[in-house]
Amino acid sequence: MRLVSSVALSLPLQGGGLGRFVDPFVQFVIDVVNMEAVLLQLLVFGLLLGGVYALTALGLTMIFGVMDVINFAHGAFLVVGMYTVWLASTTVGLSPFLGIPLAAVVLFVLGVVVHVLTVEPIIEAPQQNQLIATLGVLFIVQSGIEILFSPDPQQVSLSLGSIELGGVFVPRGQLYALLIALGTMLAVRALLNRTDLGRRIRGTANNREGARYVGINVPRINYLTFGIGAALAGIAGGSIALFQRFDPFTGETYLINAFVIVILGGLGSFPGAFVGGLIIGLIQVFGGYYLPGTTAQVLIFLLFIGTLLVKPEGLFGGAGA
Amino acid sequence: MSSLDTVRDGYRSFDEREDAPVLKGAVGFGLLAALPYIIEIDVAGMELAAALSLKVLILTLIYAYTAQAWNIMSGYTGQFSFGHAAFFGIGAYATQALVVDYAINPWFGMFVGGGVAALYGLLIGFLSFRFNLRGHYFALATLAFAELVRFVIVNMSELHGANGYFKPFPRDYDAAYGLLAFQFESDLPYYYLILGFLLVVTVVSWAVKNSWIGLYFFAIREDERAASSVGVPAFRYKLLGIAISAFFTALGGAYWSMYFNTIRPDTVFALFKNVELLLPAVVGGPGTVVGPIIGSFIVTPMSEIARTSFTGINGLDRVIYGAFLIVIVIYSPRGVVSWPERGRALYRRVRGSGGEE
Repeated sequence: MRLVSSVALSLPLQGGGLGRFVDPFVQFVIDVVNMEAVLLQLLVFGLLLGGVYALTALGLTMIFGVMDVINFAHGAFLVVGMYTVWLASTTVGLSPFLGIPLAAVVLFVLGVVVHVLTVEPIIEAPQQNQLIATLGVLFIVQSGIEILFSPDPQQVSLSLGSIELGGVFVPRGQLYALLIALGTMLAVRALLNRTDLGRRIRGTANNREGARYVGINVPRINYLTFGIGAALAGIAGGSIALFQRFDPFTGETYLINAFVIVILGGLGSFPGAFVGGLIIGLIQVFGGYYLPGTTAQVLIFLLFIGTLLVKPEGLFGGAGA
Repeated sequence: MSSLDTVRDGYRSFDEREDAPVLKGAVGFGLLAALPYIIEIDVAGMELAAALSLKVLILTLIYAYTAQAWNIMSGYTGQFSFGHAAFFGIGAYATQALVVDYAINPWFGMFVGGGVAALYGLLIGFLSFRFNLRGHYFALATLAFAELVRFVIVNMSELHGANGYFKPFPRDYDAAYGLLAFQFESDLPYYYLILGFLLVVTVVSWAVKNSWIGLYFFAIREDERAASSVGVPAFRYKLLGIAISAFFTALGGAYWSMYFNTIRPDTVFALFKNVELLLPAVVGGPGTVVGPIIGSFIVTPMSEIARTSFTGINGLDRVIYGAFLIVIVIYSPRGVVSWPERGRALYRRVRGSGGEE
C-alpha cells in the first residue's frame, strides 16, 4: 500500500520526459489495485468494440485465406455497408436492423463485380499488383460515395439508449452490434464447416492446385469467397452505423485495424480474428482512457510489428479458414 | 531495305556502343532541362503550359525521384515496401524541426533526415529480414512501421503534434533566398534543383544496377534461396538496399518540405503517400532505371490535371486515379517500359502469320 501511495505522489510531475509514457501505466496499476469501478465499465466497452472489430476483420481474413489477396477495398466495403443502412433508413424508412441484411446483399453483388473486374484477371500476377488494384477500388468507391453523399458525417437516427447492469452502462446500439457480430461469426463458421460450399472453400484455401485436381471450380470459389467477404464487410459496416457517426473515409481507420487483427490472429483464421478483435478493442478503450491523444494507436502498431516479427503466422496461425 | 529498317539498324549499332547508356541519359536529362521552356512553345495558338504548369513538372520530378529511390530497394531486390512514407516523412520532419526550432540550415537538416531514415530503414530491415518476412507480410510490416511514426509524431507536442510545421522565411535562419537557403522566390530554380536530385539518384541507381551490388540484388529478387546457396549474403545486401533507398527517399521528403509551405503528419505520412511515392516505378516498370521517370510523367500530370480540371466535383479526380491504377496493373503489369518490346512481339506475330499464307 505504501508503494502505491508513493507512486501516486510522483504523478503530478507528469508532462515532461518519459513520465507521460510511464504514468498512464502506473495509473492503470493503481486503479487495478484499488479495484476501481471504471475498470469494469472499460472492460465492457472494450469487449463491445472488440466484437465489432472482429467482424470487420472476418471478411478480410477469409479473402486472404482463400486467394492470398490483401484486399484494400475492404475499408470501402465497410463504408458502403454504413451508407446502405443509412440510405435505406432515411429514404424508405427501413429499420436499420433490416438495413443490415440488405447491406449484406448489396455488398455481395458489389464484391463479386469487383472481383471479376479487378482481381480475377491478375490473380496469378505478383502480389503487389492485386494490392494496387484493390487500392484503386478503394479510391473509386470512397470518392464515389463522397461525390454522391457529400463528405459530411452522417448518422443513423436511432435512440436506443442504454441498459444499466450493476453500475455498468451498456449502450444498446453497441450491444446489438456485438450480438450481430457474434451471430454472423457463428453463421459463417457453420457455412464453412457444415456445407458443401464451405468444404470447397476450405479446400481451395488449403491447396489451390489440389482443389483444381479434384474438380473444384476454383474461379467460382474465388468470386463467391470475395462476395461473401464483402457481404461480411457490409454487415460489419451496418453494425457500426448503429452506434457511430461515419463519413466516406471512416473505412480507412477500420481497414488498418482490421489488418492488425488479421495478422495478430493469424491470416485466414476465424478464432484468431475474434480474439484479435477483442484485443484491439480492449487496447483502444483502455488506451483511450489512460493514454493521451491517440497514443493507443501507437501501442496497436507496436503490437502489430511485434506479432509480425515473433509469430508472423499469428496467434491461431495454421488453423485454416 | 526500307528507310524504317535503316533507322532501326542505325539505332541498333548505336545501342551496342559502350557509352550508349551515358549518351541516352545525357539526351534524356537534356530534354528534362529544356522542358520548362518546351512547354511554353506556342504551337498553333496552343501551348502545353496551359495543361502542364511548372508546378506540375516539379511534382512530376519529385515523384520520379522518390520512385527511383524506392526502386533501388523494392524494384531491384524484390522486397516490396509499402511504407516508404516513413522515410519521406522523416526527411521532411528532420529538416523542418531543425530549421524551425533551432534555425539550422535545411541542407544540414536534410542529411540528418537522410541519416535518421537510413537508420530507421536498417532497423525495419534488420527486424523484418532477420525474421524472414516476405511478400504480404513484409509489405504490411513496412506499412505498420510508417503508420507507427505517424502516430508517434501526432502525439508528440515537441514535434508540433498534428499541426505540423510551417516553413520559415530564409531570414529566420540567417540566410537569403538562394541555393544555400534551399528557398527560391520563383519555381524555376526549384525545378532545376529537383532535376539535380533526380540526376543524382538516377546515376546512383544506374551504378548500383551495373555493379556487383546490382547483380546480388537481382539474384535475391529472382530466387533468394538459390542466391544464398551460391554465397550471396542476402541478409546484408537486403539491408544495404533498404538503407540506400531510405536515405534518398528522406532527401526527397526534405525537398518537399522546403518547396511546399506546410507539412503535417496527415500529409507526409498519409496512407496514400505510400502509394504515390512508389506508383511511378510500378507504372513505368519496376527494376528498370528509366521506368520510374517515365512512369512519373504518366501518373503525376494525369492526377494533377484530373485534380485541377474537375474542381466542381470533389473526389472525381480520385475516382479517375483509382480507375487508372486498376487499368495499369491489369494491362501492363511489367510497366510502360515493356511496351516497345510487346509492340515488337505483336508486330512479329502479325508479320510472321502474314508470311505463311
